Amino acid sequence: MTGQLERLFGLFVPRGGVSLSDPGASIIDRPVERSIPDGSAPLRAILCEEDFRQRPSRPPDHERENQALVKLVSALADSPGTILQTLADTILEVTDSDSAGLSLLTKDCKTPHVDGQRFYWPAIAGKWSPHIGGGTPRDFGPCGDVLDCNATLLFTHWERRYPYLSRATPLAEEGLLVPFYVAGKAVGTIWAIMHSDRRRFDAEDDRVMASLGKFASSAYQALMHIEDLKFQMAEREKAEAEVRELACGLEARIRRLVAANVVGIVTFTLEGAIIEANDAFLKMVRYSREDLTSGRVRWKDLTPAEWRERDERAIANLRATGTFQPYEKEYFRKDGSRVPILLGGTFFEGSGNEGVAFILDLSLQKRAEEELRRSEAFLAEGQRLGQMGSFSWRVAQDEITWSEQLYRIYELETGVPVTSELIRTRVHPDDLTLYEKMIGQARNGSHDFEWQYRLLMPDHSIKYLQAVAHATRDQTGELEYIAVVQDVTARHLSEEAVDKARTDLAHVARVMSLGSLTASIAHELNQPLFGIVANASTCQRMLAAESPNIEGALATARRTIRDANRASEMIRRLRALYTRKEITIEPVNLNEAVEEVIALSLSGLQRNQVAVRTELAEDLPLIACDRVQLQQVILNLLRNGSDAMSAVDDRPRHLVIRTKRDEGDRVRLSVKDAGAGFDPQAAEKLFESFYTTKKDGMGIGLSVSRSIIESHRGRLWAELNDGPGATFSFSIPFGQERT
Amino acid sequence: MIRVENRFQKSAGAAQLGGPGSLAEAQYGTKLTGRPLVSIVDDDESVRESLPDLVRELGFTAQAFASAGEFLASDSASETECLILDIMMPGMSGPELQEELKRRRQHIPIVFITAQTGENLRRQMLAKGAVECLIKPFSDEALLDALNLALRTN
Repeated sequence: MTGQLERLFGLFVPRGGVSLSDPGASIIDRPVERSIPDGSAPLRAILCEEDFRQRPSRPPDHERENQALVKLVSALADSPGTILQTLADTILEVTDSDSAGLSLLTKDCKTPHVDGQRFYWPAIAGKWSPHIGGGTPRDFGPCGDVLDCNATLLFTHWERRYPYLSRATPLAEEGLLVPFYVAGKAVGTIWAIMHSDRRRFDAEDDRVMASLGKFASSAYQALMHIEDLKFQMAEREKAEAEVRELACGLEARIRRLVAANVVGIVTFTLEGAIIEANDAFLKMVRYSREDLTSGRVRWKDLTPAEWRERDERAIANLRATGTFQPYEKEYFRKDGSRVPILLGGTFFEGSGNEGVAFILDLSLQKRAEEELRRSEAFLAEGQRLGQMGSFSWRVAQDEITWSEQLYRIYELETGVPVTSELIRTRVHPDDLTLYEKMIGQARNGSHDFEWQYRLLMPDHSIKYLQAVAHATRDQTGELEYIAVVQDVTARHLSEEAVDKARTDLAHVARVMSLGSLTASIAHELNQPLFGIVANASTCQRMLAAESPNIEGALATARRTIRDANRASEMIRRLRALYTRKEITIEPVNLNEAVEEVIALSLSGLQRNQVAVRTELAEDLPLIACDRVQLQQVILNLLRNGSDAMSAVDDRPRHLVIRTKRDEGDRVRLSVKDAGAGFDPQAAEKLFESFYTTKKDGMGIGLSVSRSIIESHRGRLWAELNDGPGATFSFSIPFGQERT
Repeated sequence: MIRVENRFQKSAGAAQLGGPGSLAEAQYGTKLTGRPLVSIVDDDESVRESLPDLVRELGFTAQAFASAGEFLASDSASETECLILDIMMPGMSGPELQEELKRRRQHIPIVFITAQTGENLRRQMLAKGAVECLIKPFSDEALLDALNLALRTN
């Protein structure tokens, strides 16, 4: 409550009013309290209790009072910031006094507080209006006396007891002070002053002031409801940065709510009729003025069944106290939908069964509460993913709200209105198509989605972002996405580094496996070289003979050329395998790749006395992959199979290489050996780096092979044969983009 | 749909086909000329194509075999005055053939040829009784020297 009052105070300082800390505005500011000067009159001497009770009371002027009420509720509706000043004005009017105003308790000379040490005068009408912003001490002044007695008091010439009031001119002939309650707590007084004996206050003044005070108090509480929400928001602000941003938005919404003409006002009868209503109310329930004048709009009919009992209680309250505490309920709109409202009201004095009620449309507030819930969603996502930005996107209105972090990620000035065009200026040109596609899908669907994209910053740096969007429906059923966006650039760069390391490792593996093949490659290369030398020698000798053998020389020359071509082809293949290139994705004929690898390793296989059989499917589609990497894998598998059979003597060392089309747009290659097989327990270990069963192996061949195949979105696995040996296979999709 | 190939059988089969350096011509050459018969055993087809021609140009009769088994199965082992033998072959290797011939007491001078490098290998082969061990590619003069040495040994 204290916090609310403090906040309320800030809201209700009259425009142009003088702040309490402003010296010189009033004579009352000086610290004169505490010490009661010698010769001061006792409290009793400045009160006219008996006199007041015995004075004849003027008859109630209901019309004037009702006018004052309407003025108050209008102020509440139109400019709540001036509600206190309006209260002062109406009191001046209904009491026909010279000055009228309001005192509120303050603790720190700045904000009001039930336990405050000073009264502050936020609003004064009439002759004392220059004293706005002044005040009196809590424990040594008329207002304090009123709160102590908890009753209306009539003072006369209070400066006799409180000398500091002699400087508040014109002097008070009579001052009538009525306690002002908010939520059952006396937090101040409302007062009227006569500076002459033109008229004397009577019991009717007390009654009407109390009545207006009650209404003003109700109005207070209604607004406090909003303040309360604001206060809660403020609490969250302290805790959560994300929520703070939303709270700003919410506060703005509340200010708009308060400032806008959204307070409905009706005059009603207890029987259920609505006699008069302002446009704000009609707008709330979506009835026309014609509907109203024809008498069709009745509050009882507007009330859903489950709220009738609450209404009964309010009416009982109204009958007992003349007013009812604001409460939340719902009304039916003309179209049958419901509008959440806050309702407060009071009786017109003397009318018997008529009253005035103010009605706040809480849709906005409910929406604000929803925003709160949404902010919690933001937060939960945020905690899950770490440092990140977030945004909400109301699809129908194309309304995008960014968190501060997101502005930072995009390197845009916080608060700049976010539009699709603005976002497009940041999205990497290569990702624009994808971006448009995502937006299109999001607009038409209502599913949660995730996507990754890049930003191209003005300094040409690239940011990698990952977004997770959650689709929700707001109260009106409109599609709204709440999304978190994470800058994963750092992670991405480290992944790239890992990729590079893997490429390096693959290169090492390649060089190593090729290195161990060097002998057989030299052998392989020497065959055509030998052919060249032998054929060229033969040719030379045939031509140099006494009777040159031209036909024989031609045949040997042809063979020389053929062998030379064979050698150069072999050198080309070797170079392709030895040279490390950046990864190049190209259409590759798997069978050709297999043939090339076999051609390169044939002599090594022969040396191991391994017979190779190929069963190559002829209808294979081309696969999009890195040819050298793929051949590296095939080479590894061949070598692996060959090595597995090195100790086999009791059966042929057969190696069968098969290619075939696999299910799901994939191609498969398998290499079946007749070797020792492997321990089924260690099936997965085979593919771990540095796991090896060979005494001279490093154990990187299969792990590198697997990473190559997986980078082509494929799978590499090993199975034991029904007979001896194992089969190693890979299966990769064709025509697919590489991840 | 599936193309099945047994590469080694195909390679072995190629030597059976007609053409220069084929078995048929080589045998014909021996009988007609009476020049010393040099048999060549090598699994590599291009060797079997080129080497017999060169040997003939050097003044010998030549015949080629794709494997040790093929040579043993032929009836020309006893007529061979020099055997040019590849060290590394599928099935029975060159040295294994050498052992087998020793076991059969057929003493044929052997010139090993190999694509593998290394002076160690050559010393090893010479120690085991080879006339010479030539590292491919070798010159025609080197071959001629080796063949002459072999015939002298014989």
